[in-house]
Amino acid sequence: MPLIELQNVSKIYRLGNQEIPALTGVSLTFEAGEFAVLAGPSGSGKTTALNLIGCLDHPTSGQVVVNGLDLGTASKRALADFRLQNIGFIFQSYNLIPVLTAAENAEFTLMLQKIPKPERRAKVRKLFVDLGIDGLENRRPADLSGGQQQRVAIARAMAADPHVILADEPTANLDSHTAEELLELMRRLNREKGTTFIFSSHDDRVIAQARRVIHLQDGCLADDVTISK
Amino acid sequence: MDLVRLAWKNIWRNRRRTIITLAAIAFSIMLVQALHNLSFGVYAGMVDSGVRAGSGHIAVYRNNYLESRDEILHFRDGSLIDDISQIDGVEQVLPRLYIPALAQSSRESRGVLLIGVDPDRERQVNPFLKTLPADGMIRSTDSRDAVIGARLLDELQIRPGQKFVVTAQNEDGSLHSELLRVRGVVNSGMKDIDSSLILVGRGRAALLTGNSGSVHELAVILDDAGREAEVHRQVAAKLSKDQDILAVSWEEAMPNLANAIKLDYASQKFIFMIILLIVAIGVVNTLLMSVMERMREFGVILALGSKPMTLRCMIMLEAIILGLLAAAIGTVLGSLATWYLVAVGVDLADLVPETLEFGGVVFDPVMRASWDPVWMFRIAVYVVCLTLLAAAYPAIKAGRTTPVEGMRHH
Repeated sequence: MPLIELQNVSKIYRLGNQEIPALTGVSLTFEAGEFAVLAGPSGSGKTTALNLIGCLDHPTSGQVVVNGLDLGTASKRALADFRLQNIGFIFQSYNLIPVLTAAENAEFTLMLQKIPKPERRAKVRKLFVDLGIDGLENRRPADLSGGQQQRVAIARAMAADPHVILADEPTANLDSHTAEELLELMRRLNREKGTTFIFSSHDDRVIAQARRVIHLQDGCLADDVTISK
Repeated sequence: MDLVRLAWKNIWRNRRRTIITLAAIAFSIMLVQALHNLSFGVYAGMVDSGVRAGSGHIAVYRNNYLESRDEILHFRDGSLIDDISQIDGVEQVLPRLYIPALAQSSRESRGVLLIGVDPDRERQVNPFLKTLPADGMIRSTDSRDAVIGARLLDELQIRPGQKFVVTAQNEDGSLHSELLRVRGVVNSGMKDIDSSLILVGRGRAALLTGNSGSVHELAVILDDAGREAEVHRQVAAKLSKDQDILAVSWEEAMPNLANAIKLDYASQKFIFMIILLIVAIGVVNTLLMSVMERMREFGVILALGSKPMTLRCMIMLEAIILGLLAAAIGTVLGSLATWYLVAVGVDLADLVPETLEFGGVVFDPVMRASWDPVWMFRIAVYVVCLTLLAAAYPAIKAGRTTPVEGMRHH
């Protein structure tokens, strides 16, 4: 059974009297362990598709099933629980909580899961070592570089051992060198831990690293290419 | 505890705004507490003066005497004075006989209220008599000595040491006169009292009315006004049902003073409410600003898997912490202000007339506070609750956002 399934999914946004179709009749499946990218220009529906997969939004029509859960029928509370246990997020602008330290940010999902503090700390410490940011635990996000912040965000996404990590334009605010480093890091995590990574990006560096590239154009599926690497 | 730590950190996100909000709440608490304690002290002082010259903290009367002031409603005090004096908490019991009479000098006559008292007991307690020199006080219950109001002295055109006659109606209906000599003069500052008051020994007063051994009033003075309810019960238990006498509180016996205090305090409470309402509006504004600034962050927190209720709880926690901090600071400031107002007070002598009356009692222009810790604590709790209430709308607003909507905010 696929990990993620989008069946003829459409999403229409309403702005006043206007209806704006963001996705139209998209059908996709993702298996566990994939390293895939939703590619396309701005407005192609990449972020919308990612939001639907991430249980952040409901489709207007069609069905989204993630790890056996039909997202269309689940309550807000159930979706929140599901996200907490199964999905990790990496955002374009890192979205770390500014008043928390790097370690506290990374622990945040574990805190929501009510994992005891010593256990949280130990897990995050190990992650920080793996991600090459050990020693930065007590720094606030404002004291970190863009690359360091994004690594903390990756640690936060990984901390709860989710089945899938969704990354929305994760390299958009980074320089080339840092972007390459982070992509390599995520590939390594995908290889070593088997975590499914789905990106939305129009960055060629990201597309180049992906093993599967799904092109979206004007909200429709234009192409779906698997590259064996 | 994690949420508490996060709430604490969020409060100090905008240090200046938090300090200003804390200062506003704390200052309002200080103001309300200090003003209340000042009023509490002033009222307590006025009640104390009023009851010592008036009905006492607890007064014993014949049934219906308070309403009618009919002089035939007297009762025999017998051993009551001693019995009541032995109750723990009673400082003094003052027997009084009230006789409407006519005072006549060689030149003038005036209607007066003659009060028969026990001079030794009365002098210990009555503020009108405490300032009199030893040779200005009634010497015994049977003597012809009289203490007279200063205005009455002038109106009768007599001087201390001179004689005058009082005439009153005896119980049998006949008129009876007694010759009295002015021994001392009282200047209470209250026109009504100074123009009608004559104090004599109760024995001499009883001769006028023919009811020796009877009183109209037993004024019970307590050493601690806070024990009134407890002592009242004990006094009532000692009263004989045969004589149809009852014990009443000073509020019933001196309704003018009680009502004046109630009215004054009610208007103060209204002002306190306005102050706290203004503070609450400020807190709502502050918390709402803080929430609106963080909508994007809330969107992320919801995206990560937090439930809306967790967000709401976090905001309510921020409000509680803010409220508790402000309550603590405000109470410290309120205590300092109260300490000053107890020790030094506020001198309004230049602003009020020398003989300003309030509820039938002379107003002391030096206002001093009195500690009321229970009420101070209550105000602090009200403010914490108000802060929580002020957080309700911002918390609901935060909880209603969705992850996608929240993350669209800039």
